[in-house]
Formats: sequence, C-alpha cells, structure tokens
Amino acid sequence: MFRPFEKISRQTFLIMVVLQVLFTLVVWQLSPGGLIPQPTHVLAALSQLLTTRLLIDNLLVSLVLTLQAMFYSIVITLIFSYLSVIPFFHSIAQFIVKCRYLTLTGLIFIFTLLTRDGSQLKLSLLVFGIVPFFTTSFLAVILRIPAQEYELCQTLGYNRWESLYEVIVVGKADQVFEMVRQNFAIAWMMITMVEGLSMSEGGIGALLIKYNKYNDLTRVLALQGLIFMIGLCFDYLLGLLRHWLFPYTKVHQK
Amino acid sequence: MTAYSKRDVLLQARDLSLSYGDKCILHDINFTIRDIIRPGMLQGQVVSLVGRSGIGKTQLFRILSGLQRPSSGSITIRERKPAETGNGSIEVYQERPVRPGDMGVIFQNYYQFGWRTVKQSLLLAARRNKALAGKEEDTLLQYADQFDIADVLHRWPAQLSGGQQQRVSIIQQLLKGADFLLLDEPFSGLDVCVLDKVVELLLQVSLSDELKTLIIVSHDIATAIAISDTVFILGRQAGREGSTLVKEIDLIERGLAWQKEVRQEKVFAETLGEIKGAL
Repeated sequence: MFRPFEKISRQTFLIMVVLQVLFTLVVWQLSPGGLIPQPTHVLAALSQLLTTRLLIDNLLVSLVLTLQAMFYSIVITLIFSYLSVIPFFHSIAQFIVKCRYLTLTGLIFIFTLLTRDGSQLKLSLLVFGIVPFFTTSFLAVILRIPAQEYELCQTLGYNRWESLYEVIVVGKADQVFEMVRQNFAIAWMMITMVEGLSMSEGGIGALLIKYNKYNDLTRVLALQGLIFMIGLCFDYLLGLLRHWLFPYTKVHQK
Repeated sequence: MTAYSKRDVLLQARDLSLSYGDKCILHDINFTIRDIIRPGMLQGQVVSLVGRSGIGKTQLFRILSGLQRPSSGSITIRERKPAETGNGSIEVYQERPVRPGDMGVIFQNYYQFGWRTVKQSLLLAARRNKALAGKEEDTLLQYADQFDIADVLHRWPAQLSGGQQQRVSIIQQLLKGADFLLLDEPFSGLDVCVLDKVVELLLQVSLSDELKTLIIVSHDIATAIAISDTVFILGRQAGREGSTLVKEIDLIERGLAWQKEVRQEKVFAETLGEIKGAL
C-alpha cells in the first residue's frame, strides 16, 4: 500500500478512503475549535438545513442555472471546436482559448449592459467563464488525434467533411462527455460566485453569501459540504452515463 | 513450368522521388505491375517490396497509397468502370493517377476506429462500395465466415487479438472493393504458425479476382519470396543519397511463384542469398 505503482483492489481502496475520512473527521472533532465549528455541529446544521424549504428552493435555482449554462457552453464549445479544423475558424477558436485569462470581474459591467435581467447576466457570465476552459480541453483532444485515424478515413475514400464527422464528431463524442464531466466542477464552482451578483433570485451562492455576512460559519461549512457532495454525485453519474452511452470506453479502460 | 502471360499494365510508377528539404529519401523509382494471366484460373498479382529497416519502404508505401505526394514523379493505375452499351453493361478500363482511397491500405498495426464495433467498421467500408449496394451485410457475413471472424463481429477493436485485427483490416479493405491491397509489414511480429495462416490468407485474397493485386512492403525477405510473383528490392546506390529500386526479380521465371513448398527448393535459397546481397 505504500509502494509506488502497487495495485490494490477496489474494496481495499474503498476501505482505505473511508478510514482516511473518518480519521480526518476525528482529528477535526478533537482539535481545539476556536472559530472553526466542529464536524458534529456542521452535520447538525446540515440536517436542519435539509429539512427547510429554503435550501431546496435555492439548490434548485442553482442546479437549473448550472445545467442551462452547461448546455449553452457545450453547444458553443462544440461548434467552435469542430470548426477549428477549418483554417478560417481556427483563429476564433484560439481566441476563445486565450479568453481564459480574462477576469470576469472586469466584464460584469459590460455584461450588465448587454443583458436584460439578473438571470441573463448570471447565465451569460457563467457561459463566458466556462466556454474557454471547455474549448481548451476539446482542442487538446482534437490535437491529440493520431494521424492514422484520418488516414484510415482517406483509405476508405472519405472526403474531408466525412473524415471530420467520423473522427472528430462521432469518434470523440465520448471524450466530449468526459470533458463535460471534468469541467462540470468549474461551472459548479463559478455558480456560487455569479449568484452573488444578483441575489434577488436566490441560489446556493446567494445563501452562502448571506450566511457569510452573518458569520454563520457552521451553516457556511454545511453548505460547502453539500455543494461538494452534489458535485461528487454529478461526477459519478456522468461517469456512469458515459460508460452506458459509449460502451467501448469500458474496454479501453481495461 | 506453369503457363502464364503478363498483359495489361495495372500500376505504373514513373520517376518517383521524395525529399524533405535537402534530404533525399527516394529517387528515380520506376516499376510496373502487369496483369498475370494463367489459363483456366483466377490469378491475381502479389508483389513484394523488400528492403532494410529505415531504407524508405514506409515512405514508398505511403506514396503508393496516395496518402503522401511524391516530390516528383507519378503513379498511375488502371481503373475499371462499368459502362452501359446497347448490349448491356460491360467493364471499361482507363489509366489515371492514384488518389487517396484508390488502394486498400492495411497498416502495420491494423488500426481500426475504436468507437465502432467490427461489424460497424466493416459496414462502413461496404457502404462505400457501389458494387455491393443492397447486399452489403450479406457480403460482409460471407467474408466474416471465410476469414473466421464471424464470432467477433460485435466486439470492439480493442477486444481483438492481433491476428483477428489483421483479418478485420483485410476484410474492410476488400469490402471497399479496391483492386489493389497495400500491406505494410504484414509478417512482422508473428509466430511461425500464425505466419503460415497469414500467408495462406493473402494467397486466398490474391486468387479472389483476376485484377486483385497485393503489394507487400516487408523486411521479411524469405516470406516475401514465398508468397510473391515479383520482388522489388529497395536499396542504396553507391555515392547517392536516398534509396531506389536496385533490382527486380521475376519469381515466376525462376519457378518460385504459386508453389506451396517453395522454401524446399534450391533456387529459393539462391534467390534469398541474391536478395540479401543486393540489400
């Protein structure tokens, strides 16, 4: 277990993770508290929050917004990434990639002018924040495609558009899914940030800001724990869905 | 000696050369492949291109397949096309430059789309072949039976053994309907038993059609001689950079073609020595 590249069973791995989590919680519980609430208090706050309509409503607002943003981001990313193999669009795709270095804070005013209401503002900021990272991931996938995939298309008599469809659109569909899975975390992380811009519609981010404002650290940590758990669930579900939709990914994994 | 004649030119390479910047890889490559006729039987052509590792075989392979343009020179092939006449449909022939997709290409690692099952991959190829319109699946199943891969049609390429991958690649290119099959190092890394099967399989393919022409690029000289009717040797000329065809050996003239036990022949050993000397 302590040697490099040692292989352990899935069961052993799960037992190890559970023990590590328990150890961390025990250390946290036994450590002198100060301002940081103990896990039992955080857990109690989470149980209490889960019984309220407030949390469910705000959580739904955040989930809907995230899923909307993911949908638009995927559509925009795929269009520009697929087109990036055409020289005219390559520069546009490259520009989108470079937009990772633009800070959202500096663009809030521009987006406020361009959008109708708070909901649109949050959505457009999220999409603008996610698309450059999605595009970067997918362009890397396209760049890594071995020449043999295109050459096999050529030997089968495909024209360039057919090769693009077979190798990039169909052939990399599973990787689009994997990219979505890996980048969902970015969307989920950003949601709490953009929701602070227009708090009237609520959302888990607005709730976090509210509890932070009143120094209710126990509930802040409870919400953080919940956000973390929902993120992990999505990660797991998207992974399952990927294997179901693209069974060959299981074969490659073995 | 078996009766035969060599007739129409099926493929002609004229003054091929390939350079990367100042570095010459191939120069002055000229050769012709003709249709071999044997009375009373379907006989395709099997041509081997042998040479040492790193001599430029793969570059020539890529040029022949149309995947790479030569720096100069040309390759033309004889194409058959159906044509309607007053008395029905006949096949007419025309000479034209080779294009990507003209040749059936079987790469050394038998690459297949990882996201398609064997059957899906084969159907993709069959659907490109207008001559198979409406009977793609039946033909596919016939080939699968003939080549003993019927039980792996629903598997993914990653689940196949090396031998199965090779057969899938060959069937895929056969279904595509190309007269020419280019094979890059088909004997590489095979054990003796599998090697015999592959040789048998390729001979089987070459006998499937009069115009079927296999061009095998290999550094396994003995197997290349055992399977071919003609051997081209790619080598270097003294004082010149790059490689060219240094010798053409007609194995039919020597009585070495189309024989099962050819390796037992004395002339086989002599030819093998001659080729080794020319490399």
